[in-house]
Formats: sequence, structure tokens, C-alpha cells
Amino acid sequence: MKFPILLAALAAGMAAAPVARAQETTPEPATPVASAPHALPAEKNWRLGVGLGYGERTNPLIQSEDIPVVVDLDIAWFGERWFFDNFDLGFALVDNARFTTNVVARLNSDRAFFGKTNTRYVNFTVTSGGAQVPIPPPPAAGAGFDAPVELKVPDRDYAVELGLEMLLDGEWGHATLRAFHDVSNTHEGYEISADYSYRWIRGRFSIAPSVGVAYKSAALSDYYWGVHADEVLPSLQGYQVDGGVGWEAGLRTSYYVTKSLRVAVSANYEKLTDDIALSPLVAEPYVLGYFAGLAWQF
Amino acid sequence: MRARLTLLMATCFMALPVAGADPAPVRLNVKPLLCVLDKNAASCAVTFDIRWKSTLAAEYCLNDEAEPTPLRCWPKSLAGEHRQERLVTQDFFFWLSPGAGNERVAEAKIEVLRVGSADRRRERRSRHVWDVL
Repeated sequence: MKFPILLAALAAGMAAAPVARAQETTPEPATPVASAPHALPAEKNWRLGVGLGYGERTNPLIQSEDIPVVVDLDIAWFGERWFFDNFDLGFALVDNARFTTNVVARLNSDRAFFGKTNTRYVNFTVTSGGAQVPIPPPPAAGAGFDAPVELKVPDRDYAVELGLEMLLDGEWGHATLRAFHDVSNTHEGYEISADYSYRWIRGRFSIAPSVGVAYKSAALSDYYWGVHADEVLPSLQGYQVDGGVGWEAGLRTSYYVTKSLRVAVSANYEKLTDDIALSPLVAEPYVLGYFAGLAWQF
Repeated sequence: MRARLTLLMATCFMALPVAGADPAPVRLNVKPLLCVLDKNAASCAVTFDIRWKSTLAAEYCLNDEAEPTPLRCWPKSLAGEHRQERLVTQDFFFWLSPGAGNERVAEAKIEVLRVGSADRRRERRSRHVWDVL
């Protein structure tokens, strides 16, 4: 399926979404106080925040390190239409009572896993069937073993992706539909995703579970997770990745200590697409992320 | 470091005497001090637990910024307690005044935090690897 057709279909679906932004009615005051409806205070253009604590996101790549998260910076700026949101650059095309549609440029996040890999050396020997398999290093150097072979995760580049996103909300929760295509001639593929979340607030505590699905095209999946012909090694067999659907589920909780400080605990599980999970570059078919700490909003 | 953090957090919860007043003759404690609202919610319905203590026995009156007259007065007292139901829509102060006057001998600010935004762009979640909050 061609990407422009997907975009058109998504846009049509976005326009048809029947959503209303309901407002809660104000109950009668318990005591006669000045609680009449008032205009909400204007929000600042800048949103600056920092989270300090401990967390990590597992790295599904072979011989790679998990990604520690000790500091989580939140830097965003929102103008009338333009916005910058943690390295996403966007422009609001449509904003009405039912939905907001933005055009957004972003960096593909799959590349981040390739920044935490190591090179290792593997010893090989020939089995009776003729195949070469990796074996543990011999107890002492001796005959019968070939020289160690380098096993290195191939390099991958960041891709700049451009696409549309539609944000919907109501009493039923929040939903996002996204379609992005590579515009940097890096992977030349696309990704379509949808996610939903709902936030409950009780006293100072809030909890927001979320679920999402994402389709990654064959070109995108193969660029990042395939083993290309020029990367094949005795220790790394070639592998072509097809497009597929992955999913994720998460939970974000906060306890608000003051107006600007909260205790935050979050966890997220992402299941990679089946084809990506079978890649020789992949050790684990999932990405697990968690964080616990204090978050300040300035 | 841990003790400093605890101290810092503790001071956030305490309602301190107004700056410039006599050195802490009256202490006013109000719970809760924070009302958390979702973006579509208009108000918090809160029952405030209000307690005060003074080193000097005198008449004190409890005031609400939204009320022209005191909520309650205690004649010649060293301490007092009061529970007040109230709908909260915006930041406001409870304060103690001597008698029926307007001078604030101690005050407590009640804050409203709106979680979420009417601007949906501020609610968007990125899918970046490092975004954990």
C-alpha cells in the first residue's frame, strides 16, 4: 500500500471521528463561596520540566546495553500553531472542538537502540554437517579452532520522518492517530500508529493506563532490524524483515506533592513485530521501560 | 542530603506565619493544601481540616478569601479546630485575624493544580525511547 493512500485514508477517518469535548457541570457549592465559573489562566508558551530518579529501557538488540534513564528532561514550546515538543517539530493544521490535526517532523526512535551496542568476538568451528556455529572460547589456545570472528551490530542512521497526527479527547479519554514517512532517504518506509489512554484522578493521585498498536512498513523494519547483504558475516546471517504490527501497553502514575512537584512511577511494555523479533539482531522480542522518581514542572 | 530534602518537603506542607509578623505567635495548619483537577473538572469538593495554635490567648477569627465575613471566631483562645466544606476552583487563602480585623497573623494558601490542558498538543505523548514520564 502506498503511503499517500494511507495518509488520505487516515485523514478521512480523522474527519469522521464523532467526538465531543464535554464539560462537567459545576455542582452546587457546599457552602456559599465564590466558585462561579471563571476563565482558565493562560498557559505559558514554554513547558520545562525535569524528572530525576531511576529507570531504564531494555535494549532488544543482541550484545547491547539497556538504556538507563536517570534524568528525563521535558522541553517544549507551544505557539499559536507552531510547536516544539521534545525534538518533535509541529504545526497545527486543524484545531476544533472535536480534534486537533498536526503535521509533525520527528526523529525515528528505533535508531536509539543502536547507540548502546558492543563489538564481541566469537569463536567458530565447523560441525559434522558443514555448518559453522559459534562456540564458547576454548580453555586454552589450541588446534582445531579458527581465529575469533568479529560480531558487531551494524550501524544505523537516524531518520527524519514527516507525517500527520490527530489528537482526540473527551470524557472517554485520549486517543492519537499517527502516520509518518521517512523524508531523509534513510529507511524510505513508514509507520502508522494508534494509541489510547485514560486518566483517573483521585485526590492527589493520578493513574493513566495506555495501549497502542503500530504498523511498521517492510522498508522501515528491514532498514533498522534486518541484516543486509553487505553486513553478512560468519557470525551474522542475512535476514530480511517484512512489515508488521507491534503493540504496547503502559501505566503512568503520579502523586502530586505540590503544584510543581510530583512523585512519578511509570512502566511500559512494547512487543516488537513478529518479523523483527525473529531477526538475528534481536535478542528479546520486547522492550520494557520503567521509571520511578521525582518530576518538577517549572 | 536526604535530611535536607525531607526538611524542604516538610516546609512545603506547613503554613507559616506571615512574613514581617511577630515571630510565630500563631501557627495555622490546613489540610489539604492542594486540589488536583482534571482538565474537564470545574472544581474540587474538599472538606478542609483547619487547626491553629497561638502562644498568646486572644480572640482569633478564621477567614476565607471568598467570604466577606469570618467563618468562625474563637474568643480568648490558645487553639482552635474547624472543618470547612468548600468547592475550590482557584487558588485562595485561609487566614487568621485578630478579632474581626483584616490583619493576617497566619495564613495558608490552597492551590489548584489542573492536570492536562485544553490545548491538545500539550497532552501529546511522544514515542521517544527516553520519554518515560
